[in-house]
Amino acid sequence: MQINWQLRELNLKIVYYGPALSGKTTNLAQIHARVDPAHRSDLVSLKTREDRTLFFDFLQLELGKISNLTPKIHLYTVPGQSYYEASRRLVLQGADGVVFVADSAPECLNANMVSWRDMETQLASFDLSVDTLPVVVQCNKQDIRGALPPARIQQMLHIYTLPTLPAVATQGKGVFDTLKAITLRVVARVQNEAAMA
Amino acid sequence: MKKKMTDPDFINPVEMPSGISLHPVQDAAVDRVLDDLMEKTPALFVLLAEAGGQILAVRGGKHASDIVALSTLVASDMAASREIARLTNQYRTGQMVLREGPDSNTFTTEAGPRMVLFVRAAKEVPLGWARLLIQETGRQLADVVAAPHDNVEALELGLDEEKLSALFGDGLDSIWKE
Repeated sequence: MQINWQLRELNLKIVYYGPALSGKTTNLAQIHARVDPAHRSDLVSLKTREDRTLFFDFLQLELGKISNLTPKIHLYTVPGQSYYEASRRLVLQGADGVVFVADSAPECLNANMVSWRDMETQLASFDLSVDTLPVVVQCNKQDIRGALPPARIQQMLHIYTLPTLPAVATQGKGVFDTLKAITLRVVARVQNEAAMA
Repeated sequence: MKKKMTDPDFINPVEMPSGISLHPVQDAAVDRVLDDLMEKTPALFVLLAEAGGQILAVRGGKHASDIVALSTLVASDMAASREIARLTNQYRTGQMVLREGPDSNTFTTEAGPRMVLFVRAAKEVPLGWARLLIQETGRQLADVVAAPHDNVEALELGLDEEKLSALFGDGLDSIWKE
């Protein structure tokens, strides 16, 4: 979170985390495509030649004046491939909230668990946890044959108290609901922190 | 024993605590420091970003449409550079990345642990002079942000608004096209 009192700007950082090819970049691409261009930046993507995320994707949303604030929401993705652990940690630092994009394909259950544990480890290095940081889980690719239902993914990740939303990001389904869910949780946390300050 | 981040004397050069709140007095001081840098270098363009990539201040240049992207990339560049330095045991406070271009040079440096300063200067500006000035500016900016200031009530930003979450939700609804 960054506040510029002079400009009354509140900047929030939300990171899309998850295993390789789970649809993190697709989420940002859909948001980019569906948000009025006057209220968003260009989509910045640092990709490999194979069109895989190398460092991160980035998109900024501007919501216009709310209450006494001019909020800006910064959306980042991390590279999902295990090779890029150091990059993930760099992108994750300073996050105000995390969307964990799980792959609902049955064969990806283990990859989801590995990525979830990796996220917990990275958060712990910043003295954060899924209990203290707003986290929303998106169960993507619900359209594929044999897709695991969100309840099953919840069970495997032991995340019974976290919001878990179904999605088909390639079709834009569930993308906005996820964005809204994490944003509202982040705002609630910011308010709590402000009240305690 | 490895110190934890919660220990009072915890120091880890690669940790960049993101999140920064600029009081109006600090904002004005930052403006003065950056104006001074623009004039003395002289610089073509100056960008001050929070370590997480959020823009804090901009001077000069004609990159208006790219500043958001540039800010993110500058901060990420510095974060990666820090990590490389750490892995090769070459990290030191106030490190700088220099890029020599055909017409101008760019300098990216830490401004304390929480900010990144990016400066573009013409080729004619001596590298040593620019480096000295930019690193000193980085230190000044870090001091400005670290200096204590009067508390500002959360009320002033409207963070106490009861329906703030709902207002954010409405804001998102209004910019979304199905």
